[in-house]
Amino acid sequence: MPQGELFEKLTSEVTNVTFQNTLNPTEDINILDYLYFYNGGGVAVGDINNDDLVDVFFTSNQGDNKLYLNKGNFEFHDISEQAGVTGVSDWNTGVVMADINGDGYLDIYVCAVVGLQGLKGKNELFINNGDATFTESAAAYGLDFKNYTTAASFFDYDNDGDLDMYLLNHAVHTQHSFGSAPLRTKRNYKSGDKLLRNDDARFTDVSVEAGIYGGGNGYGLGVATADFDNDGFTDMYISNDFHEDDYYYLNNGNGTFREVLKEKFGHTSRFSMGSDVTDINHDGYTDILTLDMTPEDETVLKASAGDETVDMLHMRIHQLGYHYQYARNMLQINQGGTYFSETALLSGISATDWSWSALFGDYNNDGEQDVFISNGIPKRPNDLDYIKYISNEKIQEKLNSSEIIDNEALNMMPSGAVQNYIFKGNKHLTFENKSKRWLPSENTASTGSAYADFDNDGDLDLVTNNINAPAAFYRNKTNNTSNFLKLKFDFKDKNKFGIGTKVISYHQGIVQHKQLFATKGFQSSSEPVIHLGYGSIAVVDSLKIIWPDHTIQVAENVQTNQTLTIKLLHKRDKVEYTKLFPKPKVWFKKMDSIPGLKYEHKENNYTDFNRQKLIPYQISDRGPAVAVGDINGDGKDDIFFGNSKNEISEIYYQTATGFEEQKMAVLGIDRQKEDVAAIIEDFNNDGRNDILVASSGGEFYGKSKKLIDRLYLNSEEGLMKAEFPELFNHESVVRPCDIDQDGDLDVFVGSYAVSNDYGKIPDSYLLVNDKGNFSIKENSQLSQLGMVTDAIWSDFDNDQVPDLIVIGEWMAPRFFKNSNGRLVEVTNTVLNEKINGLWQSIIAFDIDKDGDLDYILGNFGLNSKLNASSDFPVKLYYGDFDENQKTETMLALPKNGNYYTALGLDELSGQLNYLKKKFGSYKSFAGKTIEEVLGKEAVAAATILEIHQLASGYLKNEEGIFSFIPFDNSLQVAPITSMVKYDFNKDGKEEVFMAGNYFGVIPYHGRFDGFGGAVLQDENSIIGGEELNINLTQKSVRGLNIINFANNDYLLITINDEKAEVYEFSE
Amino acid sequence: MSFLNKKRNNLSLSKIPKGWVLCLYSCLWLIINTSCQKEVKEIIITSDDYHKAIDKITEVMVHDIFSPPVASRIYNYANIAAYEVIRQEGKAYKTLSNQLHGLTAVPVVDTTKGINYKLSAIVAYLEVGKELLFSEDKVEVYQDSIYNSWKLRDAETFSDSKAYGEQVAIHIKNWFASDNYAQTRTMPKFSVNTEDPSRWQPTPPDYMDGIEPHWKEIRPSVIDSSSQFKPARYPDFSLEKDSPFYKELMETYEVGMKIKEEGETSEKLEIAQFWDCNPYVSTHKGHLMFATKKITPGAHWIGICKIACKKTDADFAKTVFAYTKTSIAIADAFISCWDEKYRSNLIRPETLINQYIDENWTPVLQTPPFPEYTSGHSVVSGAASTVLTHIFGDHFSFDDITEIPYGLPVRSFASFNKAADEAAVSRLYGGIHYRAAIDLGLDQGRELGNFVSKKLKMNTAAIEVASSK
Repeated sequence: MPQGELFEKLTSEVTNVTFQNTLNPTEDINILDYLYFYNGGGVAVGDINNDDLVDVFFTSNQGDNKLYLNKGNFEFHDISEQAGVTGVSDWNTGVVMADINGDGYLDIYVCAVVGLQGLKGKNELFINNGDATFTESAAAYGLDFKNYTTAASFFDYDNDGDLDMYLLNHAVHTQHSFGSAPLRTKRNYKSGDKLLRNDDARFTDVSVEAGIYGGGNGYGLGVATADFDNDGFTDMYISNDFHEDDYYYLNNGNGTFREVLKEKFGHTSRFSMGSDVTDINHDGYTDILTLDMTPEDETVLKASAGDETVDMLHMRIHQLGYHYQYARNMLQINQGGTYFSETALLSGISATDWSWSALFGDYNNDGEQDVFISNGIPKRPNDLDYIKYISNEKIQEKLNSSEIIDNEALNMMPSGAVQNYIFKGNKHLTFENKSKRWLPSENTASTGSAYADFDNDGDLDLVTNNINAPAAFYRNKTNNTSNFLKLKFDFKDKNKFGIGTKVISYHQGIVQHKQLFATKGFQSSSEPVIHLGYGSIAVVDSLKIIWPDHTIQVAENVQTNQTLTIKLLHKRDKVEYTKLFPKPKVWFKKMDSIPGLKYEHKENNYTDFNRQKLIPYQISDRGPAVAVGDINGDGKDDIFFGNSKNEISEIYYQTATGFEEQKMAVLGIDRQKEDVAAIIEDFNNDGRNDILVASSGGEFYGKSKKLIDRLYLNSEEGLMKAEFPELFNHESVVRPCDIDQDGDLDVFVGSYAVSNDYGKIPDSYLLVNDKGNFSIKENSQLSQLGMVTDAIWSDFDNDQVPDLIVIGEWMAPRFFKNSNGRLVEVTNTVLNEKINGLWQSIIAFDIDKDGDLDYILGNFGLNSKLNASSDFPVKLYYGDFDENQKTETMLALPKNGNYYTALGLDELSGQLNYLKKKFGSYKSFAGKTIEEVLGKEAVAAATILEIHQLASGYLKNEEGIFSFIPFDNSLQVAPITSMVKYDFNKDGKEEVFMAGNYFGVIPYHGRFDGFGGAVLQDENSIIGGEELNINLTQKSVRGLNIINFANNDYLLITINDEKAEVYEFSE
Repeated sequence: MSFLNKKRNNLSLSKIPKGWVLCLYSCLWLIINTSCQKEVKEIIITSDDYHKAIDKITEVMVHDIFSPPVASRIYNYANIAAYEVIRQEGKAYKTLSNQLHGLTAVPVVDTTKGINYKLSAIVAYLEVGKELLFSEDKVEVYQDSIYNSWKLRDAETFSDSKAYGEQVAIHIKNWFASDNYAQTRTMPKFSVNTEDPSRWQPTPPDYMDGIEPHWKEIRPSVIDSSSQFKPARYPDFSLEKDSPFYKELMETYEVGMKIKEEGETSEKLEIAQFWDCNPYVSTHKGHLMFATKKITPGAHWIGICKIACKKTDADFAKTVFAYTKTSIAIADAFISCWDEKYRSNLIRPETLINQYIDENWTPVLQTPPFPEYTSGHSVVSGAASTVLTHIFGDHFSFDDITEIPYGLPVRSFASFNKAADEAAVSRLYGGIHYRAAIDLGLDQGRELGNFVSKKLKMNTAAIEVASSK
């Protein structure tokens, strides 16, 4: 076994640790009877005899638990028998070391599954006698639960000085149908989680009064604790497997919690397993990683059960009341304690296979948090060939008669033993996969894991509890090559170890923030110390220690490379959390409402994927249209809102006190149309503004009248529909400009997609205006211009006439010079890069303050499964692959130099039936490249659309030549769909406000919901999150307008399928 | 060449016509002088070989997991191909060309060649079946084994007969290529709309999409259009307690509760399980999933057809005839039934019961993934039993052993119609249908079966009487 560069696996000859968690399936207990038969055991580490050497406790599911005393030099000694901790339970699970009675010695709490299939025993509490022996005392403490426990966490939720306990339990029933979400409020003793308050060494179940869910649908597999909102009280994040939502409990500070997951998180892991929390981006706020089970390896990924369908997701969300969940790891970045933005795909840690335990730690002592993930399962029960073909033949009759285990049949499930993962933390929210370099190369099923500095050399070592293989110790070889600090605490009362203590470290302007909790990962607890890495830093400027009793003390100029025991100073200050974590001055303030302005967009229930099953995203949800302008000629801003199919467009006139909707018969006749773009301008030069509305919508196709745009000319009689060229295109944008300088406004009309033929490039048009009569100006360069999403008239060549820039999806920005009223493409002379993107929005803005116009470009972002570069673009194959006179698309993504279909065999063969004949098993399909799937001929005949760049950024203007500069990763978490320019902070300079998010994708892609909005001041200044006081996460923004109401300007935000919002600007 | 060929055939006949003894001598001489060549023996093919071919296709169908309508299409075309071959062997059966929509006359046999029609029929059957199944390799293994045994006996006859069978198979493939199946693959999925309380929704535990929402677009074989046997209307959807619809809902609910009370000994339970005929029942155990796969309702009736053929010692041609006519009725019955299913789009009892009556209630059988009305098993059983009654007569008692390979017992029936009655009501016991879907579904199927029986002119009355003992 080759050793890793950073971690060396130690053999049991070195360690004397022979413990192994051996699973013996029996007639009574096996994977058929107990859904978590393969979840493995836990591990707890801590110095039980206070000799400054960290000891280890392993749980064995079916055998004796083991306690090993650390003798130094990674040599251990089995003292389980004499210590009296082997345990009585038939099925042990999690374990935690904590000083429960507050005597300065670590006690051990061992969890069990009891009452299922005749399993006997109880949760056991081993109180440390101080002499390396223990006395089981669970009953005396009220902690002798006989239920289905996964793990427990000890912390002081009510800040009264002693450790309370959260008991994480799991349901065992097999879901035939999903119960609805409110089931979690019906308490279930065996399966439901519990919160126990420590009342003088007697624990009281306070779940109900504290507001803790404990239903029969809680599949609790992870508990993480931290003060997520930095108010001084410990909050909790609970991972639940299957359809049950994770729980996010904010501590109210009065002994109660409020569960606010839906409000604070756009989406979570679906099969949430272990978790860990830490501050990865140095902002002082704790971030969250939850694990799931998506494989990275194509041959495993495509042979395993995949994502659910759109309909199923819809049912869980809208009928049963669950939240959005997708089967992958989720990294939830804390936005100043106000909400979370999920970035696992952007961060590169979304798929680590069947993952159990996550442990953040600075394993190379460089000052950035790395993460270790233990994973693997003895048998993969979600192997599709097993489910569909093998299980039937081998197990069917046995299952029918009685549920007798058939080992031979179960053994035909493929092994899921894999390599553990480790990621090096980098800056800008990213991680680098170092698994094959840092760790020894070995396939295991590693479940519980913990970190500790076993050899006291200042780096974090690792230990894992493995199924059917010896427990493994990984010695960290960083040693003295990089600096560190290890902090132990000597707190008071019944919490000597100072569980819950926060440390904020400052060096060279960099913040590191940690909080001490032992329970983390999965079924395990790590060493109760705070470890910080410092690279080459010799002295830390200061350490702020924030104690659980809301006091703070500061240590300055602390030498690195030492282990400190922080003693409680008598003279400590009271913490003022709002000063320590100051709320910034905010830019915006949401208006409750403007009287009369009650527009709410309702997207009609239409799923493009029902008709074109393989297209990469919806094309029917790009509305609504919105336009601001003076329609009734009173000098005040009025508003036109388009609407989706079956809803009438809405016009609001501004009155003295607010807005008033104008019901007009002329709007009603077009209620069937789906409006995605609109402009208010005076097209016939009669001094009155007119309205041009562009219609689209994927459910209309061919020469459907619903696709025809409409021009409302304004006269004394009001708005009247006027002649306008019949364009059956799916428009996305209309932009007016007097291109021929004849005094009236001409219009560029950009088209987006072709219904039922996604991948075909539609025509866009320039319509020239002759006194209010529009006609198409022939221009071959505009036909098949691209899948246009946005366009801008802007004088990019500085010749004082407006030119046109067009952007769109699967295309690069295209530049058209206005040459005497004729558009001539000059893209190749002004843009030297291949930057096909999924461009969404464009605005002209001098971002580098050099006096010329740059162009800000909203793209799809980097937080998706699409991974594009110019060397390895994302590809969309377009053609009639099954020769049925209908085209299909196939999305192919690069991985290790090859291209693989994004979707699995079931999804693809749902459209392309012949693939079922071509691939008789999932195994034969898994790992096949797009060429192998479609065949060389079909690939050669296909049209291939490409994406090279998915980052949002800007085109920097350098003497008329443009180069693309991507933005920081904080702006890449979701598509940026809308931008508006305005001097929001009244500093005399314009800023750009940007917003986005997009949900029209299948569950495979998830939901791009994490962009809260941002203000761009210049190249180096991006303001987002809490500082804006705008939270647009979970909202798909389609329009940003500045609207003047009662002589004040406001920001109007139009959102797909939501109420429009109005914000005022803070002084 | 043709002379030699004929002689070789004669040689291998078990009953040698008296006048041909001389010929036999010369042949023996020929064999002695060409002793390096293999001995030529007659290729003997019986009804049992056809049953085996049917069983093979069924087995692969189960492996590949075909939904009931799609499975019915496979039997239909494969049997028609075999029928169009075998009916040429005697004068007993008439061609189906110009009787089935769009079917033209199959290529004629080269009478200069010694064709073994039975062999050609099986080849045509397997070739068409293989084309329609996914796992071609599994059929090929079977083909190789029987083809080799035939080839060893008489390579030339085998090769000529196989070629003819393949020719007919190609003709049938060209025919079914225009039945709209390919087009229906790319038609829209069923749109779930939960705002309409009566509208079908995906059901537990897999919540699969509604299958084959456009099956009515498949060209039927005999019936004029998919809606020709549109069933009478089910009671109007209502959740009012005294409405006929609600009463039917409660009947399904209560039957299910009763069965659970009675436990393993419940006869209704046995009936429900016997007729489950669900090609894909999934079992969830946490992350562990299993599929329990069985034959479809159509395949069950194909199995009953086999039982009837064997019980009557039907000869090869009659066997093929019986399978073919039954398959045609089953296939058209599915088209007719699916036309109604996605017209009414009626919600399943499980969904309503869980929503309004008892959230923990589960049906005895797993609810299949398509709308409720009418019951597919009822329509198909009605159609198949009617056709089988026409062929084998009423009061034809039989022991139904079809489900033994799937771990289910034998059930005995006094007639095809009685079996169909039980198959239909089994859906009520199974908790997956309301009463109307069963009663009106049976009517729909029987009317369709009668129509098919009367409209198709496949055999002469004399032959039918002669061969049906």
